Amino acid sequence: MARVFDELTRFCQARSLFILHYCTGCGAIELPPVMTSRFDMERLGVSPMVTPRQADVLLVTGYVSIKTLKRVMLTYEQMGSPRYVIGICSCTVNGGMYWQSYATAKKLDEYLPVDLYIAGCMPRPEAVISGIRTLMQRIESGEADSWKEYYHNYDYYLGNQQKLFGPQWQTPVDVIGEAEQYGLLGPATRGTHTELLEQIQVPLQPLEMRL
Amino acid sequence: MNLSELLLELFLMPLIAFLVGLTMVLWMRRIGARIQRRVGPPFLQPLYDVVKLFGKETQISHGILHDVGIIMAMGGYIAAEMLLPVPGMDGVAAYGGIITLTYLMMVPSLGLALGVGQCANPNGSIGISRALTAMLAYDVPFVIVIFGVAYHAGSANLIEIIDLQQQAGMAGWGVVEMPLLAIAGLITLQGSLGKQPFEIYVAPAEIATGPMVEMGGKYLGGLFVMQSFQFYTAAVLYVSLFLGGGESWFELLLKSFLVVTLPLSVAYLFPRYRTEDLVRLLWKWPVMIGLLGVAFVV
Repeated sequence: MARVFDELTRFCQARSLFILHYCTGCGAIELPPVMTSRFDMERLGVSPMVTPRQADVLLVTGYVSIKTLKRVMLTYEQMGSPRYVIGICSCTVNGGMYWQSYATAKKLDEYLPVDLYIAGCMPRPEAVISGIRTLMQRIESGEADSWKEYYHNYDYYLGNQQKLFGPQWQTPVDVIGEAEQYGLLGPATRGTHTELLEQIQVPLQPLEMRL
Repeated sequence: MNLSELLLELFLMPLIAFLVGLTMVLWMRRIGARIQRRVGPPFLQPLYDVVKLFGKETQISHGILHDVGIIMAMGGYIAAEMLLPVPGMDGVAAYGGIITLTYLMMVPSLGLALGVGQCANPNGSIGISRALTAMLAYDVPFVIVIFGVAYHAGSANLIEIIDLQQQAGMAGWGVVEMPLLAIAGLITLQGSLGKQPFEIYVAPAEIATGPMVEMGGKYLGGLFVMQSFQFYTAAVLYVSLFLGGGESWFELLLKSFLVVTLPLSVAYLFPRYRTEDLVRLLWKWPVMIGLLGVAFVV
């Protein structure tokens, strides 16, 4: 019975993807045709959303500079699981034409688990849609669970983030706490990097109320 | 009527309202798609969305009031469905009347305000303050319209209002006898559905969907359910007041879908009014038309 219920949920999850576009790179220009009348992604049940809380899929288009990556991390951690990440364009795969730049993060999947890359410079709307369909198939068959990876291997991802942003790096989201709450703790969730985080972590303060 | 029948009706009325409401949400998205020359979502899309949102594995709550607010938003409409007579089922409509219904239709906005307030997101606060201002704006003509219809029928009981119209036939429908009030009601309907041009409190590009900004998972799912109830309630209430209700389900659904089609086709052709313009417009035109209509009725 529980299996039937899971399959129903996955069936619906695959057919209803709310996408949050994180469009700072040039690949963003290929997304309007995907959404509008020419290719119309709403017929696949995909619709754009505007805040990370509402979204299921984080679409990172194009190169991610180090400053941008901080915002990507903040956005990703605020999304509700199951959450998926799609990296569009070559720059998210290996740095692309920004390989020699000192200011860009080269491989997106060192910092957060990526479900799917759509390579190309830039990929055509057809390629984006075919990528989204692949993700749908993987969600329906239950393969797309890289969001669990982030909880299981949090130490690895946090380590890479600390390498870029410095040892003071922290986000408002308590990932280890979430992993404990939802039973997603793995052997590599805690490690040397999370110990460093726990030393410097400042608990969230309520905002000051003023007019 | 015995108790078990009544309980069955009270269970069935919100359930049917939910299913019809989901179809209306699909109808809205299809209309939008066709106007923008797109294909639009598949038939079960609203259901997929709701199931997916409730099936999210991590649910981020911002506190007790956040939970309570969403429950109030849904519960207000569920209570309203029980007071809304449909063919074959009256529920508790005979005891509630139209004034209680009007009151219950305000509860969701207030519940939403409570829930959004706890999220402490500035966009949410801006959105909900705009939403409450908009409610203040469309409730004035709404109350005038309700008063006019109730005065004309000599009763605040929805069942009697519908019976009067059905006995008199098409010539006795509210829309024929009180055309001015029907027009004012239509403008109010646009406001209460929160569709363009009165959509300032959602404004996805400016304030990130306003009240919904911190809602994810089951909270957003609750709001999706609320939206489908909202469509159903607004449409069926308008049909009961002005189009003679429905003697059969087919008639009622046909009329309700016609009623929601009007504001939705207008919605996708217009940009938004600012809040102060919205209040000015809603307090000027529908109120004037409505008062004129009331004068004719009296």
